[in-house]
Amino acid sequence: MTNRRTRLLAAPLLALLALLAFAGPASASGESVGSCIAEKLEELIEESHGDLDEVLHELHVDTSIGDHFEKKCIEAPSPILPETNEIIWGGSAFLILFVLMVKKGFPAVRGAMDARAEKIRSDLDAAEQARVDAQSVQSDYEARLADAKTEASRLIDEGRADADQVRTGLIAQAEVDAAGIRERAASESAAATAQAISDLRAEVAGIALGAAERVVHASLDAEVQGRLIDAYIDEVAGTDG
Amino acid sequence: MADPRVAGYAEALFAVAAAEGDSSVVEDELFRFAQALRSDDDLGSTLADTGLPLARRLQVIEDLLGSRASAVTTALVSMVVGAGRAAELPAIVDAMVERGAASRNKTVATVRSAVDLTADQSERLAAAINTRTGRDVEVRVVIDPSVLGGVVTEIGDDIIDGSVRRRLNQLRESFR
Repeated sequence: MTNRRTRLLAAPLLALLALLAFAGPASASGESVGSCIAEKLEELIEESHGDLDEVLHELHVDTSIGDHFEKKCIEAPSPILPETNEIIWGGSAFLILFVLMVKKGFPAVRGAMDARAEKIRSDLDAAEQARVDAQSVQSDYEARLADAKTEASRLIDEGRADADQVRTGLIAQAEVDAAGIRERAASESAAATAQAISDLRAEVAGIALGAAERVVHASLDAEVQGRLIDAYIDEVAGTDG
Repeated sequence: MADPRVAGYAEALFAVAAAEGDSSVVEDELFRFAQALRSDDDLGSTLADTGLPLARRLQVIEDLLGSRASAVTTALVSMVVGAGRAAELPAIVDAMVERGAASRNKTVATVRSAVDLTADQSERLAAAINTRTGRDVEVRVVIDPSVLGGVVTEIGDDIIDGSVRRRLNQLRESFR
Protein backbone atom coordinates (compact mmCIF):
# COMPACT_ATOMS: atom_id res chain seq x y z
CA MET A 1 0.00 0.00 0.00
CA THR A 2 2.83 2.35 0.78
CA ASN A 3 4.47 1.87 -2.58
CA ARG A 4 1.18 2.36 -4.30
CA ARG A 5 0.56 5.57 -2.46
CA THR A 6 4.05 6.76 -3.25
CA ARG A 7 3.49 6.07 -6.91
CA LEU A 8 0.17 7.91 -6.80
CA LEU A 9 1.85 10.98 -5.30
CA ALA A 10 4.83 10.82 -7.65
CA ALA A 11 2.64 10.79 -10.74
CA PRO A 12 1.36 14.39 -10.45
CA LEU A 13 4.82 15.64 -9.45
CA LEU A 14 6.31 14.11 -12.55
CA ALA A 15 3.52 15.70 -14.57
CA LEU A 16 4.36 19.09 -13.06
CA LEU A 17 8.04 18.69 -13.83
CA ALA A 18 7.22 17.73 -17.41
CA LEU A 19 4.99 20.76 -17.73
CA LEU A 20 7.77 23.03 -16.53
CA ALA A 21 10.39 21.39 -18.70
CA PHE A 22 8.51 21.28 -21.97
CA ALA A 23 6.45 24.41 -21.74
CA GLY A 24 6.34 26.19 -25.11
CA PRO A 25 7.59 29.80 -25.72
CA ALA A 26 5.12 32.43 -24.85
CA SER A 27 4.88 36.05 -25.81
CA ALA A 28 7.04 38.37 -23.75
CA SER A 29 4.56 39.54 -21.27
CA GLY A 30 1.47 37.78 -22.28
CA GLU A 31 0.80 40.48 -24.84
CA SER A 32 0.46 40.20 -28.61
CA VAL A 33 3.24 41.37 -31.01
CA GLY A 34 1.03 44.16 -32.30
CA SER A 35 0.38 45.58 -28.88
CA CYS A 36 4.09 45.34 -28.12
CA ILE A 37 4.98 47.27 -31.24
CA ALA A 38 2.27 49.80 -30.48
CA GLU A 39 3.69 50.17 -27.01
CA LYS A 40 7.15 50.83 -28.43
CA LEU A 41 5.74 53.27 -30.87
CA GLU A 42 4.07 55.15 -28.08
CA GLU A 43 7.36 55.28 -26.29
CA LEU A 44 8.97 56.78 -29.44
CA ILE A 45 6.16 59.20 -29.82
CA GLU A 46 6.62 60.28 -26.24
CA GLU A 47 10.32 60.68 -26.82
CA SER A 48 9.55 62.77 -29.90
CA HIS A 49 7.08 64.71 -27.90
CA GLY A 50 4.18 63.80 -30.03
CA ASP A 51 5.66 64.61 -33.38
CA LEU A 52 4.57 61.81 -35.63
CA ASP A 53 6.30 63.01 -38.69
CA GLU A 54 9.58 62.94 -36.91
CA VAL A 55 8.93 59.46 -35.74
CA LEU A 56 8.06 58.30 -39.22
CA HIS A 57 11.08 59.93 -40.54
CA GLU A 58 13.33 58.25 -38.04
CA LEU A 59 11.75 54.94 -38.81
CA HIS A 60 12.20 55.55 -42.49
CA VAL A 61 15.82 56.67 -42.08
CA ASP A 62 16.92 54.43 -39.38
CA THR A 63 15.78 50.89 -40.24
CA SER A 64 17.51 49.52 -37.19
CA ILE A 65 14.63 50.84 -35.11
CA GLY A 66 12.33 48.35 -36.75
CA ASP A 67 14.74 45.59 -36.08
CA HIS A 68 14.89 46.73 -32.48
CA PHE A 69 11.12 46.52 -32.28
CA GLU A 70 11.09 43.08 -33.64
CA LYS A 71 13.70 41.86 -31.17
CA LYS A 72 11.92 43.47 -28.26
CA CYS A 73 8.40 42.28 -29.18
CA ILE A 74 8.93 38.94 -30.81
CA GLU A 75 11.60 37.33 -28.51
CA ALA A 76 10.12 35.18 -25.63
CA PRO A 77 11.34 35.85 -22.20
CA SER A 78 12.05 32.14 -21.19
CA PRO A 79 11.44 28.82 -22.85
CA ILE A 80 11.11 27.00 -19.51
CA LEU A 81 9.47 29.10 -16.89
CA PRO A 82 5.97 30.27 -17.58
CA GLU A 83 4.68 33.53 -16.67
CA THR A 84 4.20 34.17 -13.02
CA ASN A 85 0.48 34.36 -13.21
CA GLU A 86 0.37 31.01 -14.97
CA ILE A 87 2.48 29.52 -12.21
CA ILE A 88 0.13 30.95 -9.63
CA TRP A 89 -3.05 29.82 -11.32
CA GLY A 90 -1.64 26.47 -12.36
CA GLY A 91 -0.15 25.81 -8.95
CA SER A 92 -3.39 26.78 -7.25
CA ALA A 93 -5.37 24.51 -9.49
CA PHE A 94 -2.87 21.79 -8.96
CA LEU A 95 -2.98 22.18 -5.22
CA ILE A 96 -6.76 22.24 -5.22
CA LEU A 97 -6.86 19.19 -7.42
CA PHE A 98 -4.16 17.53 -5.34
CA VAL A 99 -6.04 18.23 -2.11
CA LEU A 100 -9.27 16.98 -3.61
CA MET A 101 -7.52 13.87 -4.83
CA VAL A 102 -5.90 13.30 -1.41
CA LYS A 103 -9.07 13.99 0.53
CA LYS A 104 -11.66 12.48 -1.74
CA GLY A 105 -10.14 10.61 -4.63
CA PHE A 106 -7.57 8.58 -2.84
CA PRO A 107 -9.90 7.30 -0.11
CA ALA A 108 -12.49 6.45 -2.71
CA VAL A 109 -9.91 4.74 -4.88
CA ARG A 110 -8.40 3.08 -1.84
CA GLY A 111 -11.84 1.96 -0.63
CA ALA A 112 -12.65 0.63 -4.06
CA MET A 113 -9.31 -1.09 -4.21
CA ASP A 114 -9.76 -2.48 -0.71
CA ALA A 115 -13.21 -3.67 -1.61
CA ARG A 116 -11.86 -5.08 -4.81
CA ALA A 117 -9.01 -6.74 -2.88
CA GLU A 118 -11.45 -8.02 -0.31
CA LYS A 119 -13.70 -9.29 -3.04
CA ILE A 120 -10.76 -10.93 -4.74
CA ARG A 121 -9.68 -12.38 -1.42
CA SER A 122 -13.20 -13.60 -0.80
CA ASP A 123 -13.36 -14.99 -4.28
CA LEU A 124 -10.03 -16.66 -3.73
CA ASP A 125 -11.28 -18.08 -0.44
CA ALA A 126 -14.47 -19.25 -2.14
CA ALA A 127 -12.42 -20.68 -4.96
CA GLU A 128 -10.20 -22.42 -2.44
CA GLN A 129 -13.24 -23.68 -0.60
CA ALA A 130 -14.75 -24.79 -3.89
CA ARG A 131 -11.48 -26.45 -4.77
CA VAL A 132 -11.42 -28.17 -1.40
CA ASP A 133 -15.04 -29.17 -1.83
CA ALA A 134 -14.39 -30.35 -5.32
CA GLN A 135 -11.38 -32.25 -4.09
CA SER A 136 -13.53 -33.76 -1.34
CA VAL A 137 -16.20 -34.66 -3.88
CA GLN A 138 -13.54 -36.03 -6.15
CA SER A 139 -12.12 -38.06 -3.29
CA ASP A 140 -15.59 -39.24 -2.47
CA TYR A 141 -16.19 -40.12 -6.10
CA GLU A 142 -12.86 -41.85 -6.30
CA ALA A 143 -13.66 -43.79 -3.14
CA ARG A 144 -17.06 -44.71 -4.52
CA LEU A 145 -15.49 -45.60 -7.83
CA ALA A 146 -12.96 -47.77 -6.03
CA ASP A 147 -15.79 -49.38 -4.06
CA ALA A 148 -17.76 -49.86 -7.26
CA LYS A 149 -14.74 -51.40 -8.95
CA THR A 150 -14.22 -53.65 -5.95
CA GLU A 151 -17.90 -54.59 -5.92
CA ALA A 152 -17.86 -55.16 -9.65
CA SER A 153 -14.77 -57.29 -9.34
CA ARG A 154 -16.40 -59.23 -6.53
CA LEU A 155 -19.58 -59.70 -8.55
CA ILE A 156 -17.57 -60.78 -11.57
CA ASP A 157 -15.67 -63.26 -9.41
CA GLU A 158 -18.90 -64.54 -7.90
CA GLY A 159 -20.50 -64.75 -11.30
CA ARG A 160 -17.52 -66.58 -12.66
CA ALA A 161 -17.57 -68.94 -9.68
CA ASP A 162 -21.30 -69.49 -10.10
CA ALA A 163 -20.84 -70.05 -13.81
CA ASP A 164 -18.08 -72.54 -13.12
CA GLN A 165 -20.27 -74.27 -10.57
CA VAL A 166 -23.22 -74.36 -12.95
CA ARG A 167 -21.00 -75.57 -15.75
CA THR A 168 -19.54 -78.24 -13.52
CA GLY A 169 -23.03 -79.26 -12.43
CA LEU A 170 -24.28 -79.33 -15.99
CA ILE A 171 -21.32 -81.37 -17.12
CA ALA A 172 -21.84 -83.80 -14.25
CA GLN A 173 -25.55 -84.00 -14.98
CA ALA A 174 -24.84 -84.44 -18.67
CA GLU A 175 -22.41 -87.24 -17.86
CA VAL A 176 -25.00 -88.86 -15.62
CA ASP A 177 -27.64 -88.46 -18.30
CA ALA A 178 -25.30 -89.81 -20.93
CA ALA A 179 -24.48 -92.76 -18.72
CA GLY A 180 -28.18 -93.32 -18.12
CA ILE A 181 -28.87 -93.07 -21.83
CA ARG A 182 -26.06 -95.49 -22.59
CA GLU A 183 -27.30 -97.82 -19.89
CA ARG A 184 -30.87 -97.61 -21.12
CA ALA A 185 -29.71 -98.04 -24.68
CA ALA A 186 -27.70 -101.08 -23.67
CA SER A 187 -30.61 -102.41 -21.65
CA GLU A 188 -33.04 -101.72 -24.45
CA SER A 189 -30.64 -103.23 -26.91
CA ALA A 190 -30.28 -106.30 -24.73
CA ALA A 191 -34.04 -106.46 -24.25
CA ALA A 192 -34.57 -106.02 -27.97
CA THR A 193 -32.01 -108.70 -28.67
CA ALA A 194 -33.62 -111.02 -26.15
CA GLN A 195 -37.03 -110.22 -27.56
CA ALA A 196 -35.78 -110.82 -31.08
CA ILE A 197 -34.23 -114.11 -30.01
CA SER A 198 -37.43 -115.04 -28.22
CA ASP A 199 -39.52 -114.06 -31.21
CA LEU A 200 -37.20 -115.92 -33.51
CA ARG A 201 -37.28 -118.94 -31.25
CA ALA A 202 -41.07 -118.79 -31.08
CA GLU A 203 -41.21 -118.38 -34.83
CA VAL A 204 -38.90 -121.33 -35.34
CA ALA A 205 -40.84 -123.32 -32.78
CA GLY A 206 -44.08 -122.41 -34.49
CA ILE A 207 -42.72 -123.45 -37.85
CA ALA A 208 -41.25 -126.64 -36.42
CA LEU A 209 -44.40 -127.44 -34.47
CA GLY A 210 -46.57 -126.69 -37.47
CA ALA A 211 -44.47 -129.04 -39.52
CA ALA A 212 -44.51 -131.64 -36.73
CA GLU A 213 -48.26 -131.28 -36.34
CA ARG A 214 -48.77 -131.80 -40.05
CA VAL A 215 -46.50 -134.84 -39.98
CA VAL A 216 -48.24 -136.22 -36.90
CA HIS A 217 -51.67 -135.52 -38.33
CA ALA A 218 -50.75 -137.26 -41.55
CA SER A 219 -49.36 -140.24 -39.68
CA LEU A 220 -52.34 -140.60 -37.34
CA ASP A 221 -54.34 -143.19 -39.15
CA ALA A 222 -56.85 -145.47 -37.48
CA GLU A 223 -54.25 -148.00 -36.48
CA VAL A 224 -52.02 -145.41 -34.89
CA GLN A 225 -55.01 -143.82 -33.16
CA GLY A 226 -55.93 -147.24 -31.76
CA ARG A 227 -52.41 -147.81 -30.51
CA LEU A 228 -52.31 -144.37 -28.92
CA ILE A 229 -55.61 -145.10 -27.10
CA ASP A 230 -54.35 -148.48 -25.96
CA ALA A 231 -51.12 -146.94 -24.79
CA TYR A 232 -53.10 -144.32 -22.88
CA ILE A 233 -55.23 -146.97 -21.23
CA ASP A 234 -52.14 -148.89 -20.23
CA GLU A 235 -50.58 -145.72 -18.87
CA VAL A 236 -53.64 -144.88 -16.80
CA ALA A 237 -53.84 -148.40 -15.51
CA GLY A 238 -50.12 -148.55 -14.71
CA THR A 239 -49.93 -145.22 -12.93
CA ASP A 240 -50.50 -145.13 -9.21
CA GLY A 241 -53.19 -142.76 -8.14
CA MET B 1 -75.36 -128.71 -10.33
CA ALA B 2 -75.71 -125.07 -9.41
CA ASP B 3 -78.72 -124.10 -11.54
CA PRO B 4 -81.95 -125.45 -10.04
CA ARG B 5 -83.70 -125.14 -13.40
CA VAL B 6 -81.03 -127.27 -15.11
CA ALA B 7 -81.20 -129.77 -12.28
CA GLY B 8 -84.98 -129.90 -12.55
CA TYR B 9 -84.94 -130.56 -16.28
CA ALA B 10 -82.17 -133.16 -15.81
CA GLU B 11 -84.17 -134.92 -13.16
CA ALA B 12 -87.24 -134.88 -15.41
CA LEU B 13 -85.32 -136.28 -18.39
CA PHE B 14 -83.80 -139.00 -16.21
CA ALA B 15 -87.22 -139.92 -14.80
CA VAL B 16 -88.77 -140.20 -18.28
CA ALA B 17 -85.84 -142.26 -19.58
CA ALA B 18 -86.00 -144.54 -16.58
CA ALA B 19 -89.74 -144.91 -16.95
CA GLU B 20 -89.34 -145.85 -20.58
CA GLY B 21 -86.88 -148.69 -19.82
CA ASP B 22 -83.17 -148.67 -20.71
CA SER B 23 -82.14 -145.26 -19.59
CA SER B 24 -78.48 -145.79 -20.43
CA VAL B 25 -79.24 -145.84 -24.17
CA VAL B 26 -81.23 -142.62 -23.89
CA GLU B 27 -78.45 -141.08 -21.83
CA ASP B 28 -75.88 -142.05 -24.42
CA GLU B 29 -77.96 -140.65 -27.29
CA LEU B 30 -78.68 -137.43 -25.43
CA PHE B 31 -75.00 -137.12 -24.55
CA ARG B 32 -73.93 -137.43 -28.17
CA PHE B 33 -76.58 -134.94 -29.28
CA ALA B 34 -75.40 -132.48 -26.63
CA GLN B 35 -71.84 -132.82 -27.89
CA ALA B 36 -73.07 -132.15 -31.42
CA LEU B 37 -74.75 -128.97 -30.14
CA ARG B 38 -71.52 -127.86 -28.46
CA SER B 39 -69.51 -128.36 -31.65
CA ASP B 40 -72.11 -126.89 -34.03
CA ASP B 41 -72.95 -123.30 -33.19
CA ASP B 42 -75.37 -122.97 -36.08
CA LEU B 43 -77.39 -125.88 -34.84
CA GLY B 44 -77.47 -124.53 -31.32
CA SER B 45 -78.50 -121.02 -32.44
CA THR B 46 -81.17 -122.43 -34.72
CA LEU B 47 -82.78 -124.48 -31.97
CA ALA B 48 -82.52 -121.60 -29.51
CA ASP B 49 -83.96 -119.02 -31.92
CA THR B 50 -87.42 -118.31 -30.62
CA GLY B 51 -88.04 -116.22 -33.72
CA LEU B 52 -88.32 -119.40 -35.73
CA PRO B 53 -91.62 -121.23 -35.53
CA LEU B 54 -91.52 -124.10 -33.07
CA ALA B 55 -92.69 -126.54 -35.71
CA ARG B 56 -89.66 -125.62 -37.82
CA ARG B 57 -87.28 -126.26 -34.95
CA LEU B 58 -89.00 -129.51 -34.03
CA GLN B 59 -88.75 -130.57 -37.65
CA VAL B 60 -85.00 -129.98 -37.51
CA ILE B 61 -84.79 -132.24 -34.46
CA GLU B 62 -86.87 -134.87 -36.18
CA ASP B 63 -84.62 -134.70 -39.22
CA LEU B 64 -81.48 -135.10 -37.10
CA LEU B 65 -82.62 -137.77 -34.62
CA GLY B 66 -85.62 -139.44 -36.19
CA SER B 67 -83.75 -142.27 -37.81
CA ARG B 68 -80.65 -142.26 -35.58
CA ALA B 69 -82.04 -142.18 -32.05
CA SER B 70 -84.83 -143.65 -30.07
CA ALA B 71 -88.25 -142.07 -29.98
CA VAL B 72 -87.77 -141.26 -26.30
CA THR B 73 -84.57 -139.37 -27.00
CA THR B 74 -86.21 -137.40 -29.83
CA ALA B 75 -89.20 -136.65 -27.65
CA LEU B 76 -87.06 -135.45 -24.74
CA VAL B 77 -85.02 -133.14 -26.97
CA SER B 78 -88.20 -131.79 -28.55
CA MET B 79 -89.63 -131.20 -25.09
CA VAL B 80 -86.61 -129.17 -23.94
CA VAL B 81 -86.48 -127.15 -27.17
CA GLY B 82 -90.23 -126.61 -27.04
CA ALA B 83 -89.85 -125.26 -23.52
CA GLY B 84 -87.40 -122.68 -24.85
CA ARG B 85 -84.37 -124.22 -23.09
CA ALA B 86 -82.37 -125.26 -26.12
CA ALA B 87 -79.40 -123.15 -25.00
CA GLU B 88 -79.28 -125.04 -21.67
CA LEU B 89 -79.71 -128.46 -23.31
CA PRO B 90 -75.99 -129.49 -23.10
CA ALA B 91 -75.86 -128.62 -19.40
CA ILE B 92 -79.18 -130.37 -18.79
CA VAL B 93 -77.91 -133.50 -20.54
CA ASP B 94 -74.64 -133.44 -18.58
CA ALA B 95 -76.59 -133.19 -15.36
CA MET B 96 -78.95 -135.95 -16.50
CA VAL B 97 -76.00 -138.24 -17.34
CA GLU B 98 -74.44 -137.50 -13.98
CA ARG B 99 -77.78 -138.25 -12.37
CA GLY B 100 -78.08 -141.59 -14.21
CA ALA B 101 -74.53 -142.64 -13.35
CA ALA B 102 -75.13 -141.70 -9.74
CA SER B 103 -78.23 -143.87 -9.72
CA ARG B 104 -75.95 -146.75 -10.66
CA ASN B 105 -73.33 -145.70 -8.08
CA LYS B 106 -70.93 -144.59 -10.78
CA THR B 107 -69.17 -141.42 -11.91
CA VAL B 108 -69.14 -140.06 -15.44
CA ALA B 109 -65.74 -139.98 -17.10
CA THR B 110 -65.83 -137.70 -20.13
CA VAL B 111 -63.31 -138.97 -22.64
CA ARG B 112 -62.28 -136.75 -25.53
CA SER B 113 -60.62 -138.43 -28.46
CA ALA B 114 -60.03 -137.75 -32.14
CA VAL B 115 -61.67 -141.06 -32.95
CA ASP B 116 -64.37 -143.07 -31.25
CA LEU B 117 -63.33 -145.72 -28.77
CA THR B 118 -64.34 -149.31 -29.28
CA ALA B 119 -66.42 -150.99 -26.64
CA ASP B 120 -63.39 -152.93 -25.51
CA GLN B 121 -61.34 -149.79 -25.21
CA SER B 122 -64.11 -148.13 -23.24
CA GLU B 123 -64.33 -151.06 -20.84
CA ARG B 124 -60.56 -151.27 -20.40
CA LEU B 125 -60.35 -147.50 -19.89
CA ALA B 126 -63.09 -147.66 -17.27
CA ALA B 127 -61.22 -150.44 -15.53
CA ALA B 128 -57.95 -148.53 -15.74
CA ILE B 129 -59.58 -145.44 -14.24
CA ASN B 130 -61.04 -147.56 -11.52
CA THR B 131 -57.61 -148.95 -10.85
CA ARG B 132 -56.09 -145.52 -10.75
CA THR B 133 -58.73 -143.54 -8.87
CA GLY B 134 -60.68 -146.22 -7.11
CA ARG B 135 -63.87 -144.81 -8.59
CA ASP B 136 -66.33 -146.82 -10.71
CA VAL B 137 -66.94 -144.76 -13.83
CA GLU B 138 -69.05 -144.71 -16.97
CA VAL B 139 -67.11 -143.61 -20.03
CA ARG B 140 -68.75 -141.00 -22.25
CA VAL B 141 -66.76 -140.40 -25.43
CA VAL B 142 -66.63 -136.97 -27.07
CA ILE B 143 -65.13 -136.83 -30.56
CA ASP B 144 -62.72 -133.90 -30.54
CA PRO B 145 -60.39 -133.56 -33.58
CA SER B 146 -58.30 -130.96 -31.74
CA VAL B 147 -56.96 -133.75 -29.57
CA LEU B 148 -55.19 -135.06 -32.70
CA GLY B 149 -54.43 -138.41 -31.08
CA GLY B 150 -54.64 -140.16 -27.74
CA VAL B 151 -57.22 -139.44 -25.04
CA VAL B 152 -58.13 -136.73 -22.52
CA THR B 153 -60.21 -137.99 -19.61
CA GLU B 154 -62.13 -135.66 -17.27
CA ILE B 155 -63.54 -137.05 -14.05
CA GLY B 156 -65.07 -134.20 -12.13
CA ASP B 157 -62.23 -131.75 -11.62
CA ASP B 158 -59.51 -134.32 -12.39
CA ILE B 159 -58.01 -134.40 -15.88
CA ILE B 160 -55.79 -137.13 -17.26
CA ASP B 161 -54.33 -135.76 -20.49
CA GLY B 162 -52.63 -138.28 -22.78
CA SER B 163 -53.27 -136.45 -26.04
CA VAL B 164 -50.87 -135.69 -28.85
CA ARG B 165 -51.98 -132.06 -28.56
CA ARG B 166 -50.57 -131.91 -25.02
CA ARG B 167 -47.29 -133.34 -26.14
CA LEU B 168 -47.08 -130.80 -28.96
CA ASN B 169 -47.86 -128.05 -26.48
CA GLN B 170 -45.12 -129.34 -24.19
CA LEU B 171 -42.78 -129.31 -27.13
CA ARG B 172 -43.84 -125.71 -27.90
CA GLU B 173 -43.16 -124.69 -24.32
CA SER B 174 -39.76 -126.30 -24.40
CA PHE B 175 -38.82 -124.03 -27.31
CA ARG B 176 -39.48 -120.93 -25.27
